[in-house]
Parts: sequence; structure tokens; C-alpha cells
Amino acid sequence: MSLILRAHVAAAAQSVVPSWPLESFIAVNPLAGHESEHFESAAAGDALLTRRRDAYLSDRARGRITDADLDAAILERIPELAGRLKIGGATVPTVSIARLDMTSAEWGLSARTGRVSPWLDDYLAAWVASYLNPDPLWPMPYRQQGFYRAWRTLARRDPSLPRRARQKLKDLPLAPDVALAWALGELGVVAESIRATLREELGYLPGWVGHIKWRAEKIGDIDLISYLAVRFVLRALPGIAPAPATKGLPGAENPTATIWRRAEVVTSLITGSSPRREETAAVARILAGHPIADHPFTWQKAYELHYRSTLLRRLNSTDPVSERPRWQVVMCIDPRSEGMRRHLEQRPAVETFGFAGFFGIPVRFARYAARGAINSLPALLTARHQITERPTTSVVAHKRVVRGRALDALRQAAHAADSSAATPFAFAETTGWFYGVASILRTFAPALQARLHRTLIPPAATLASTVTVTGAFTLDERATMAETAVRMMGISEFAPLVVLAGHSSESANNLYQSALDCGACGGNPGAANARAAAAIFNDPDVRAHLTARGIDIPTDSFFVAADHNTVSDVVTLLDGHLIPDSHVEAVEQFDELQHAAADQLVRERAGDLPGASPRQVPSRVRRRAHDWAEVYPELGLAGNAAMIIGPRQLSRGVDLGRRVFLHSYETQLDPDATALESIMTAPLVVAQWINHQYYFSALNPTTLGAGTKTIHNAIGTIGVLAGHGGDLRRGLPWQSVGTGTTLFHEPMRLSVIIQAPLDRIGAIVSRNQVLRNLLDNDWITLTARNDSHGSWHRYTPYGFKATPTTMEGP
Amino acid sequence: MNNLTKMTRLEVVVPARDAPAIRELITSAGATGFTSVSGVSGIGHHGQHSGALLFNEYDTLTMLITVLPPDKASDLIDAVRELLGTSSGVMFVADTYVSRPDYFQ
Repeated sequence: MSLILRAHVAAAAQSVVPSWPLESFIAVNPLAGHESEHFESAAAGDALLTRRRDAYLSDRARGRITDADLDAAILERIPELAGRLKIGGATVPTVSIARLDMTSAEWGLSARTGRVSPWLDDYLAAWVASYLNPDPLWPMPYRQQGFYRAWRTLARRDPSLPRRARQKLKDLPLAPDVALAWALGELGVVAESIRATLREELGYLPGWVGHIKWRAEKIGDIDLISYLAVRFVLRALPGIAPAPATKGLPGAENPTATIWRRAEVVTSLITGSSPRREETAAVARILAGHPIADHPFTWQKAYELHYRSTLLRRLNSTDPVSERPRWQVVMCIDPRSEGMRRHLEQRPAVETFGFAGFFGIPVRFARYAARGAINSLPALLTARHQITERPTTSVVAHKRVVRGRALDALRQAAHAADSSAATPFAFAETTGWFYGVASILRTFAPALQARLHRTLIPPAATLASTVTVTGAFTLDERATMAETAVRMMGISEFAPLVVLAGHSSESANNLYQSALDCGACGGNPGAANARAAAAIFNDPDVRAHLTARGIDIPTDSFFVAADHNTVSDVVTLLDGHLIPDSHVEAVEQFDELQHAAADQLVRERAGDLPGASPRQVPSRVRRRAHDWAEVYPELGLAGNAAMIIGPRQLSRGVDLGRRVFLHSYETQLDPDATALESIMTAPLVVAQWINHQYYFSALNPTTLGAGTKTIHNAIGTIGVLAGHGGDLRRGLPWQSVGTGTTLFHEPMRLSVIIQAPLDRIGAIVSRNQVLRNLLDNDWITLTARNDSHGSWHRYTPYGFKATPTTMEGP
Repeated sequence: MNNLTKMTRLEVVVPARDAPAIRELITSAGATGFTSVSGVSGIGHHGQHSGALLFNEYDTLTMLITVLPPDKASDLIDAVRELLGTSSGVMFVADTYVSRPDYFQ
């Protein structure tokens, strides 16, 4: 067993980002392994980091990027260009010279299409898929021996390998690390280049490699040593040498545009005549500080600056609600909540808050008598507490369980008959009429089919029950979770009815359903956490503890859990049997106003949904949830661009276009800044993961994105393939970021905006490496102000710097 | 020393996301166990590190401590050093003494 080789493999895999399975889709930055490097130097071989020049020029032509944006972006990158230069009898700002160069100098972006080794990749992908498929028609023999050993045994009978290679297999070492060492030796890889060779090889099949890394840590049935052992043994057997280490990175290219030529063009544009040599030389000295390779990043910064300055100008400071609100609604920070909050707040008696959608209750949740469970918590945490449901009526629950088991058995029998080699024709003959009718109904009347289905098979969520939160957490733990939530949200006065709304999505025939659910709940619906949080807040013992900690929840305040369906935008109140008579009227009134808000929001969203129109009746848009041919049930978090951490007074009444993560925060409720640190190190990080997932899926739709949904095939619940084989697809499908050949997601790095004391923010950044990496390396930006009267400041590695917000924009 | 047996103690402080690789090396080296302390705080080559974060176990530091016979420690030290060559983290190696050596063989 070679420990040093294991260390080489671990070192080579350090930049590999673990890829979660499809059933709990977690948005990740596909370049997260490079976050300790500056954004502009983090190209991972085949990744584009910016858009192409013509896209930026098009934005400039339509005013999406203005000259002021370009000047600000140039000066942010090169403050030395703040001076002026005398040229052609006039004095011009130096920055305008650099700007003229940006609009006149041409550059192109080149990115490789990804590393491929056709035969080896296809062969290995088929073996990995067979080994990991959780629901195979024919289980892989010897699977229990591990990937390498199972392959070593079976491949001896694999006719796709040359006979000479197959004969050698039986002599190979049994242990995967020993086999890997043998193969590297056979290939003549010297010790000094082992790590680079392994890293290069991990660049092939990046989807499977990322999933294997995740699986090695979470499940343990395969690891990268086994994978690399098979890969290198295959390279060694047929005598294929490992690919050479990667050289060069994608970036702006224009070998013909010399700095002198650029300077001549710019000087001519300024003077309107043939340039004099000394003027050209002066301009060339300026342009030397802004090489062509930097142009894409300056364009991108200008593109983002325009959005950010427009957003900052629109933020205001409305007065806080002076009277006690009648309803308070706490929703997830997800940008989709912004629309619902804005429409609900049209009623002055409604106050809303933003909080991470797991409501600070990290749990593993299992429905009553269910076989499986879900990790309903952020991917940043490990599940340590399990909750389930306790039915209020055992007779009804028993009937549900009996019926559920019968249906389950029926489904399994149908699946077995459908999948078996012997029975599919007989199965089709006997049941075809039923499936035919169901298919016709599903195709032409999806909403009716869904209603029928719900009537015949009531969803498990309709069983009256309570969540077993008291069994999972001690009283002190529950009180601490409640206190943390209150301080992080900044609630100082409680309404009679407080709605805690998790969110979920609903779609048919959608392998990426999980990507539309709550990211803070591990890609699961957030209802379980909302129910647990409501139970905690309604617990008189918890309230007594909170009073002792300075948080007084009035006795007439009742917390109710809810689920915001992001396709229909209906907010369904949960656990209705727990609502006391004293609050029934308030609940009914809330239900009315949320229905009105939902209809308004659906019409608003219809303006963005491909194939929909604001003129359509809401029910037609909502039908998308049940339409099995619909590839755009909703747009998810497309458009996400910013995160605001501060009181709602900053943004109440402002249409943020469902593009902003909103986390409530009040400085005065957080005396030691622990709440702010929790927000900046968890919800902010999750928002950044999501933002970069969208960013890179939009810029690299076929390499860091999953490509079009229409040709996806599922490998169990692990992931999808494009077609019948090849690499596991990473990232989001094209339908999450674009339509046709056009992007509807604007790829912008997350602009974080915080209202809190700057010294607190600075101290938090200083002591958290994750924030230092993201901010100092330009992966995200941070703009902050001390309070509602302060001016905005931009974070730089050298401290906060006052930032203007007066640039013009549409 | 008081009938104690000499062993080698390794303490490795790494980002939590790199801890699984270190754990794997420790177990592969034949160590019979290890201690893991999450949310380690301090100041080092890369700056300050806050301790445990309330809702983020992924971006904190983890300290892994293991004790093993000196003859097994050498390979592990080389392997951990190799891994730390490409990432942030520190390793401390020291002689230590145990009263029940069979627990660590």
C-alpha cells in the first residue's frame, strides 16, 4: 500500500469540486477549487470566465453598459489612470483613452471544448455508470469487491478489449493503489510528474470524477484511487501514454493588435487626424497598463457595475412600520421570494422578512412511516438530528400506510413487469389501454390529470400530524435556535400571525426538480423545517426561555408554517389542525391576500417565461407544473445577481425583479455581531455557490452546464447523461439559463450589499478565510454602509472606499 | 519514562474540506484511531481563522490528531507533507508516550 501515492491522488484531486447527486441537487461553484486564486487567473482549462466581445458591444449599444460604467471599471482596476493627458491641443481624461481602446481593440476568446479521450472515456464512463447505477436491470457481478476489483475480474471476458490486454488482467495486482503504481511505472511516469499526470487524467470525464469524489466522502463505495487505477491500467495495457500536462489558459487573444497599433487607432480617434509619433507614444504608455488580456474582465466589471449602481440608487430608506403589523411573513432568501414579498406588502399591515429557508433548524426529515429520509439542511452542515411526523389520528394514519404500501407494491410490480425481458409484451397488452388513457389525459389535460391523481392518492403532506422536534432537540437547544433565528432576522415586534414559509417547486417529468427546490434545505422542499420552526416558536417553554434572554413573544402571537409553491406562487398554510380558534380569522384573511398576491406574481412572471404571456389567466401558467412536455415549468433563480443583508426598509416598495437574495438584519438586535457573522459565512456562501453555478452554466453551457434537457437520460438518481453514454453532466441545463440560442440569465458575479457597521463587516471578513478568498480574489463584491444615513462604501483588500452611485443607467 | 512507551504524535490542521483526505491517509497508514477537532481557530500563514461557525462546517479548520508507532509514522509524515505541498495547512510531529501501547499498534 503506497501512502505517498494516495497523497498524490488526494493532492491531484484538490481542485475537483464534489458533485452532488441529482436527487439532492446542490448548486456549487464549478471552479470552487480555484477560489484561493484571483478570479481572472482561475481558468480551469476549458472554462470561459467572461462573455465574448460582441455581447458587451451589443450591451453598450443598447445602454446596458455606459461610458461611465466603463470609466468606473477601468479606474477600479487601474486607479493610476485617474489623470489627464494633453493630446491634439486638448486635455483628455486618461481613462477615456483606455475606454476608447476597449471599444476599438478587437479580441476573441478561445476555450477548449474539454479534454476528451474518446475510446477510453466512453469505455470507462460505461463501467462507472454500470457500477454506480442504483437501479440496474442486471446488477453488476462482484460489485461488493469494489470498482477496481470488480472491473479486473469482469474485464477478462470483455470482448471490447484486445485479447492480449485481457490475458494480462489476471496478473494485475489486486489492490487498486498497487495497480495504479504498477500502471504508472509501466507508463514511465517519473515520481516528479506523478501529481501533474494524475491531475491531467482527472480532467477527463469531470462529471463522473466530481461525483466519485462526493461519493467517496459520503457513501464510500468508490473512490478516485479505484477509478484512476482502472484508467491508468487501461492506458498501460494498450500502451497509450498519459496526455501531457495542460499548457496555456483561455483568455483574450489578438496576436496582431500590437500596443503601437492600438495607440495609433486611439490617438486618431481623439485628434481626428493622423497621429504624431510623440502623441502615439504617450497613448501607448497608458495602454500598456491595460493589456488586451484584461479587456474581457474590465468589460465584465463594467457590466456588473451598471447593475450594482442602478440597484444602489433604487434602494431607499422607508420608515419602519410604526404600528404593530397584523401579519408577518418570513420567507427564504431565495430571489423567488422577493416577488411574493413585494406583492404581499402592498397591504401595509403585512411585514415580511428574509431568512435562510431551513429556518435555522438543520434536520434529517422522514415522513410518517416513510422508507427514506431527506437531509433538509444546507450542504455546509452535517445532519445530526432526525425528525419525523406523529399523526394526530392513528386510524387515518394506519389506513394511509396500508394504502401507500399497496400502491408501492403495485408500482414495483408494474416496474418489474415492464422491465423484465420476458413480460413487456404481455404487460403492454393487458395494461396498455389504461396507460394509453392516462397518457392522453396527461398530454391534453395535465391540470385535470393532476387533480384526479390528488383525489385518488392524497399526498402524504395532507395527513394531520405534528413534527417530532421535541424529541430531536433539548429545550435549551430549541430556545437557542429560536433566539438565533430572531436575532438573525432582526424581528423586534411580533405580529398576531407569523407565517414561516418554506418553498418548493412542482413539475412533471423534470430530472432537475431538485434544482428548483430550496437550496438552503439541501435541494429539498422547506416545509418540514418551517413546521419544526413553528412548533418551536409556539412552545410556551421555549417562549419562557426567550423572555429570559430578552426576547418577548406576546401570548397572542401564533406561528404557522407554510409552503410557497414557486410554480403556482400559492402559499399553502400547513398544519391547519394546530391553528387555534383565536387565529382562524387572521389565517383566513391571510389566505385571501396571499391568493391575490399569487395571481399578481404569476402574471408578472408570465412576462419572462418562454411561451407564456402576462395576458394569460394564471391557471394556464400554473398548468406548467403538471405538463410533462414543459421544459420551463419556472425559471428558478435565473437572473440572480445580488444579495442584500439589512432591514427591509432598504428595499420595501422597490421592484427588485426577483433577482436579489434578501436576508433581513438589524444591527441593534445583534450586539456582538455573531448573527452577522453567521449570515456572512452561511447564507452568503450558499448564495455565492448558486450565483456561480448560474454564472458558469450560462457562460459554458456544454462543459460546466448540463446542455439541453431534451436529450438527457437519467442514471438512477445520480445524474444525467446527454444521450445514452459519456460523462455525467454537471451544472444546470440550458433551459435554466437560456432559450433558443439566447441567454435570459445575465451572468454577473454576486453583488453583496450590507447595511451594518463597516468595522464589524471588516472584522468578520478578516477572520474568515472563505470571505477573504471570495472578496480579495474578486469572486464577489461587497458594498456596505453603516446605517440608513451613511454613504455606500466598496470593500477592497485595503479597506472600505467610498463609492459613487450616481452613474446614469436605465 | 514511568514504563510508558514512546510513540509519534501527528497533529494536522487543515481546511475542513481537506480533512477527509487526511483521515484517509491516517487510516491507510495503519493508525488505530484519530481525534478530530472541528472549528479550530487561530492565526497562521494565510491569516486569521475564526473558530466554529454556526451554520458552516465546510469552511472552518479541522485539527486531526493521531498517535502511532514511530516505524509506521514515517510514511504518514511523508504522505501528509506531500498533500500539504499543494494546499494550506500545518503538520506538527512530536514524540509522545502512552501507557497502553497495544491500543496503538
